[in-house]
Amino acid sequence: MTSTYSKKTLNASLRVSGPRRELWIASLGCLLGSTLLLLALQLYLDAKKIIREIEGPGNYFTVNKKIEGGALANFGREEDAFSRDELREIQEFEGVRRIGTFTRNQFPITLYIWPSGKIGLGAAAKTDLFFESIPDEFLDFIPDDWLWEENSTTVPIMVPKFYLDLWNFGLAPSRVEYPSLSVEAASGMPIQIFVGENQEFTLNGRFVAFSKRINSVLVPTNFLKWANQKFGGQAAKGFFFLWKNGSIDGPPVSQVDLANLMNTAEDFHTWEVSPLKRPADRMPASNAVNTQEKESNSSRIILEIDENPSPSLLQLLEDRGYEINREFPEQDTLKQAIHGLFLGTAVIGGLLSLLSIASFSTSYQLVIARSAEQTRNLLLLGFSKTEISRVFVKSFVQLFFLILTISILLGYFFKSILSKQAHLISLELSGGFSYEALLFTLIYATGFVLVNKRVIENSVADLAK
Amino acid sequence: MLIEIERVKPKPIPQRIIDRSEIWGRKIKIETNSFNLISAQSGMGKSTLLHILFGLRHDYLGEVKIDGKHVRPKNWKDWEVFRRERISLLFQDLRLFAALSARENIELIPLNNPTAPSIDEMAKHLGMTEFLDRPMNNLSHGQRQRVALIRALRKPFELLLLDEPFSHLDKENQSRACSLVDEVTRSNKAGLIVSSLGGVPALAFKNTFAL
Repeated sequence: MTSTYSKKTLNASLRVSGPRRELWIASLGCLLGSTLLLLALQLYLDAKKIIREIEGPGNYFTVNKKIEGGALANFGREEDAFSRDELREIQEFEGVRRIGTFTRNQFPITLYIWPSGKIGLGAAAKTDLFFESIPDEFLDFIPDDWLWEENSTTVPIMVPKFYLDLWNFGLAPSRVEYPSLSVEAASGMPIQIFVGENQEFTLNGRFVAFSKRINSVLVPTNFLKWANQKFGGQAAKGFFFLWKNGSIDGPPVSQVDLANLMNTAEDFHTWEVSPLKRPADRMPASNAVNTQEKESNSSRIILEIDENPSPSLLQLLEDRGYEINREFPEQDTLKQAIHGLFLGTAVIGGLLSLLSIASFSTSYQLVIARSAEQTRNLLLLGFSKTEISRVFVKSFVQLFFLILTISILLGYFFKSILSKQAHLISLELSGGFSYEALLFTLIYATGFVLVNKRVIENSVADLAK
Repeated sequence: MLIEIERVKPKPIPQRIIDRSEIWGRKIKIETNSFNLISAQSGMGKSTLLHILFGLRHDYLGEVKIDGKHVRPKNWKDWEVFRRERISLLFQDLRLFAALSARENIELIPLNNPTAPSIDEMAKHLGMTEFLDRPMNNLSHGQRQRVALIRALRKPFELLLLDEPFSHLDKENQSRACSLVDEVTRSNKAGLIVSSLGGVPALAFKNTFAL
């Protein structure tokens, strides 16, 4: 047994092919909602990408132990360094991607800077200063000249960008001998680094970059390690006199060297060491290696976290008496503004979409109600509910995908206008929609179709009762 | 298809009508392949009986069996199959689609009866050839009755139910319609139940019941 009826006849019997006034309102709502939702998502993705490009690959803040009490109480105080266990604990906090330790100079430094060059009329700006280093992966970018080798004549230095601003808008206008400096001019300034209490050593330096992330005066890690060993002298930590057979054997050795010797020297267990400050306090050499396990010698660390620090992370740090300093947090405000804008647009778009799903459902219930008599007749002729529902669903899907196509085209049009506007303020937005936005559209469309399909099937089933 | 009606009393039918009826409240067996006439005045429950057999009404006391099985437990899906493949009903109000032509109405069925003559042959038999492609709105009630009859005969069936099928046909057209019904029903080896207001169509009825 076969059937000879055409789908066209079936559609005509249900009168669903003609336009329905009530569907126009639902279609308009759907068009607005879908366009707004798609645009909101795409703009959010674009904004996120731009922020990532501006701020670099992560979010950073520095952590140190709180310094409390007056100046006298802290005078001559030992640095309150993080222990290895404390660093391990922080590493395991929620949202922490990785941690880096700051290394500080262990010798006095005085800088002479000649803003207008050493030769000529310019005067030198003199300042006592400090150096710090962090692993390169925590820098917002690695400058070309960020290299130092033991025999290099020039030490590359990186300072915060706002130091230059302070110079240009604070110091320079108030002192006639100091000119304002562009980034290029500042990079070319001769710098002399005097090392030691009595400025015994002199090195040349140069500002090679101005960081927007790290609020410190940075030099390459290998330079500071070398300089601390070379110039740190009595103040240097982690160095010991090595005792063999009851007498000091050679120059002081570092804990790292001791750790290496422990694995290679056969008579290591007979060796003794003593701190540089207290040469008489001898102890087995293995104790010094173990001491190194416990101390990191860093009183300041930098954290890279997933996103903005979570309240639980901040609470944990607070509970342990740590102090945090956000590195350049102004991007947070921008991010929050973008998040807020996106959320607002997405909520409006989402509400409009929900409204359009509801109005589409109601409209199709109305379409089916108008065709109730015809639908019942078809059911009595032996047509299945599925066959009849399919007619309505097909008509809905055709209309919905037409709306969605227009919505994507409209979104594309608005996006290109926005891209042009953004270009005027030097922001480059990608053309068209991203893969994520289109994937979201697919999921949204599937959800929209499934909800309405269900409503249509239920409406037809109600007529069969 | 064997139909058994056991002490059926439709709730809306008054008791005085049931008391006088040859079907309501009694045990009736309608044999397979038999031709049956239900004759009664308006309001006695002719359409109600046909609708009960078609699974449209369940507001009655008593039991109805088809091929020995009670019909009450049947769900919508079971009735869907019955209506598509086993029972064909010509409604008193015809239930045609006004937006379609006569031919489209006849074609709009889920399955075709393989033993039935073609649409054109049946239309010719009933004098409807020239009206086949006209919209339903342009046809008289008698012409619409014939369109509905052709549609009912084009469906596959083991039982054909005709609810006052000739009420708007003249004698000649009634005669043509009866011969077509007789021919198709017999070729289908199917049973027939016809309701009538009192007239007796020209068909070889085995049983005649007065409601």
